[in-house]
Amino acid sequence: MNASYLIPSGDLAAAAPELLLCGLGVLILLFDAFWPSLRRAWTPISVAGVVTAAALAWGSAHGESFGGLLETSAFTIAATVIVLLGTALSLLASQAYLEREGILTGEYHALFLWCAAGLVLLVRAQELLTIFLALELLSVCLYALAAFNRRLSVATESALKYFLMGAFVSAFILYGLALLYGQTGSTRLDEVSHALVMGDAGAIGILGMLLLVAGFGFKMSLVPFHAWAPDTYQGAPSPFVAFLSVAPKAAAAMVMIRLLEVAMAGGLGDRWPDLVAFLAVASMLVGNLLALVQRDIKRMLAYSGIAHMGYLMIPLVSLDDTSWTPVLVYLLAYTLMNAGAFVLVSMLYARAGEQHLVSELSGWGYRFPVLGACLAVCMLALGGIPPTFGFIGKYLVFLHAIRHGHLYLAIVGVLASLVGVFYYLRVVYVLYMKEELRAPDGLAIDAWARAAALVAAAATVILGVWPTRILEWLERVSGTL
Amino acid sequence: MDGLIELLLGNTLTRLVFFPTLAALPLLFFRKGADGAVKLYALAVGLVELVLALVYVAPHWTTTTFEATRELAADGGRIPWIPSWGIYFDLGLDGISMPLVVLTALLLPIVIGGSWLGIQRNWKGYAFSMLLLTTGILGALTALDLFVFYVFWELMLIPMYLVIGIWGGERKIYAAVKFFLFTMAGSLLMLVAILWMGWTHQELTGLWSFAYQDLLRLDFPMTQQIWLFGAFALAFAIKVPMVPLHTWLPDAHVEAPTGGSVILAGVLLKLGTYGFLRFALPFFPHAAVAAAPLLVSLAVVGILYGALVAWAQEDMKKLVAYSSVAHLGFVMLGLFAFDLFAWQGSLLQMVNHGLSTGALFLLVGMLYDRRHTKKFDDFGGLAKVVPVFAFFLVFSSLASAGLPALNGFVGEFMILTGSFRAGLIVPTALATFGVVLAAVYLLKMLSRTLWGPVTRTENEGLRDLSLREIGVLVPLCVLMLWIGVAPGPFLEPSLAALEGVHEEVQIRLEQPPPEGETRFLLRLDDSMAFTFPAPSLDEVTR
Repeated sequence: MNASYLIPSGDLAAAAPELLLCGLGVLILLFDAFWPSLRRAWTPISVAGVVTAAALAWGSAHGESFGGLLETSAFTIAATVIVLLGTALSLLASQAYLEREGILTGEYHALFLWCAAGLVLLVRAQELLTIFLALELLSVCLYALAAFNRRLSVATESALKYFLMGAFVSAFILYGLALLYGQTGSTRLDEVSHALVMGDAGAIGILGMLLLVAGFGFKMSLVPFHAWAPDTYQGAPSPFVAFLSVAPKAAAAMVMIRLLEVAMAGGLGDRWPDLVAFLAVASMLVGNLLALVQRDIKRMLAYSGIAHMGYLMIPLVSLDDTSWTPVLVYLLAYTLMNAGAFVLVSMLYARAGEQHLVSELSGWGYRFPVLGACLAVCMLALGGIPPTFGFIGKYLVFLHAIRHGHLYLAIVGVLASLVGVFYYLRVVYVLYMKEELRAPDGLAIDAWARAAALVAAAATVILGVWPTRILEWLERVSGTL
Repeated sequence: MDGLIELLLGNTLTRLVFFPTLAALPLLFFRKGADGAVKLYALAVGLVELVLALVYVAPHWTTTTFEATRELAADGGRIPWIPSWGIYFDLGLDGISMPLVVLTALLLPIVIGGSWLGIQRNWKGYAFSMLLLTTGILGALTALDLFVFYVFWELMLIPMYLVIGIWGGERKIYAAVKFFLFTMAGSLLMLVAILWMGWTHQELTGLWSFAYQDLLRLDFPMTQQIWLFGAFALAFAIKVPMVPLHTWLPDAHVEAPTGGSVILAGVLLKLGTYGFLRFALPFFPHAAVAAAPLLVSLAVVGILYGALVAWAQEDMKKLVAYSSVAHLGFVMLGLFAFDLFAWQGSLLQMVNHGLSTGALFLLVGMLYDRRHTKKFDDFGGLAKVVPVFAFFLVFSSLASAGLPALNGFVGEFMILTGSFRAGLIVPTALATFGVVLAAVYLLKMLSRTLWGPVTRTENEGLRDLSLREIGVLVPLCVLMLWIGVAPGPFLEPSLAALEGVHEEVQIRLEQPPPEGETRFLLRLDDSMAFTFPAPSLDEVTR
């Protein structure tokens, strides 16, 4: 009996990236158990797997598969490539870190690949139970990875915090899902939307949707669901944080768009744009203001990531076809510059269990000319300064706000960016304008990690100077040209 | 990648703008500590850039309008950058930007030459920053697309921030961060205004555009004009800087190394006044007229306050820094007189200030290289010890103070005459005191440093200027004298362009701003080609 008897081969082809990632993870785990000497090969192999999965996703046919559970469109493909890019960058930075900490085992790579599979599934799922399953596949692996440096008490503590909060949120999402199902009789988003438009959903439907939005707001670390991020980032392995801070947020943002499309279609009240605007403004302000007072670079980047998700929510206030380009460009820019920043943090800080003070980088712009320049580029890009891709992202977001009549969002956004510039610049001046405080010792720098940092920084600049092609493509596929 | 190469080298002007940056890339491969080679290389790049600028500009010296200089860009045409959003990488020169472009290209080799000894570490980074900064300035001066303008405007920040923060004095980080945040605060709101204008263009014509000449056709209702003008004016007023937004300038100037101060005073500040003339006035003439009393008052306050504070300084560099506030006050006064003659004076004064203040900063830097102090008390009687230095200091100070037959006089005279003619009698009268005060504080500097007995033994063995230092100063002084004696060739090229803007503003002012909806001005009889299908009439009147 062959598999195609049960599952149409078209569906199998559509799920090829997920199958590849899961399968590779299982293989790595098996081989690792019997041939531990292969351990140093897992990084190139798993990165190659991720790249192949991205290539498979890129070439996959558009349309629905598995009876409408999964959707493949230009947007899901773009988002898939973005999350896999974040995965590949952080995997590249991992090996040196793991070797130094003495925890280089295949489980890490296997868990990473399963995370990636969960992400790809999450991006494409358009049915509530599939979304939930993908989310759990992702989350369980994330909890394990957060605690991966298990001898460090801070790592265990932060992972436990993340797990407790995450489990709580999973319950929220499940409950919201149940309420929506109870109200509409379906778990498919299009049918849910249809049922809601046809009949008045009332309080139950609204409550269900609110719970779902809160749940994915947690995954995106939007204010007021953001409290886990700084603590988790601080304790978790830095190369993993490079992944945690970009890819799951990107996938959650895609789900958020699908949910808000349903919520704003009708039947659930007309206050959703106000709610989204509130989340955006609160995240931008709280994130940037709290980042301002951080001394620890990982906590600072955690708060800055909260602020960036606020910017990302701006195009969702008036959700329509024109929202896709700003969201996807912003996600790509954020993935490059934020993953790049964390990759560099993982390379430039030696003691995993302690604070990562910004001031420890004093004068290192001269000691590490290339890495220092990469970190400076990532910081300027996060601050939205041209000619980096971060600026292009902010430009599109603010333009979207203005053309849909939300001038105040653009103004709050630029003022919040001004606050942001202040703390991003601090990293730059510490790198180049302070005297060196400490000599480097025990840093986890290898060629793979260097490559990841260089790719992120170079792409940030090149796409900033010349965004022509990528914007043309996005405009074409979103049909807003 | 073809598109990227086309963007960087597609036509004459993009080559002019990007040459310094592209030429800076090989610097990355210079050996660490090969400062001698880096200096020579950077100087050579600066000279080539100057030659490029002169060669490109010379044929258009007397006919510098956008249409004429469009030929410069004609070999590449409008290079698409983000065409779906109507953003073209469109550069152009006219009589307003041309003098400043030449000034920038002139100052680049001078700054490199003037930093020879002052910068003692990491020349690679310094040269790289300076070349990148030049690209930013030239790009901002030639941009004919507001989005492109904004990108270059911000691009100037990073290298200047690094120059102040890395090679600066004791409080360098404070000064660098203050510089960055002040400028950024203004420009971010300008970004929102630019986006608003692009969107309005799309609403009215159905097409996105950020092109200068397309946005000129937008006639906003008064309330919107005031807000938009406010956003632009804030960005430019911080850059100029106008009192009370000037506090970053003394800090930045005092902490910056000599080269940084020269570029800052020489061209960076001019971007603010240039922005008023190029964008804020023609885009929003009604709001500009409404705001004129405020801005004229601030300009006069700047002239007097800057002069008085300069008078009170005990530090040469601080004195020159505050004198910039006063000088730029004159330029602003001229601009908001809305008088053609005053505008000519303002434009000339922008160049003058770049020359004379640039020379003064260089001279202070040369003194600092020798004695590592800039305080008046540490000097006295220098004229006996270093006569050549004294000659250049007196010459530049007198030019700065507006002595007839030197350049400062011409500019200030034109501004004052023009604004008097325009009816700004009280402000002009007050500003005239500024000319007197300029003489007071500059002569104070001269008497405290140059004349009298040699009070300090350390000063007795002071070396006079070297050939390199003289070579750096001579071009500036020749131009000061030339402009002072025969300003005609320097005023003529910009006349047509200024007339164009002046006429444009006057025509717009004849009609009241529209009520309610923004109007799209149709000008089918003019020579400007439509960059999009002309909208039908009912679209225009909505």
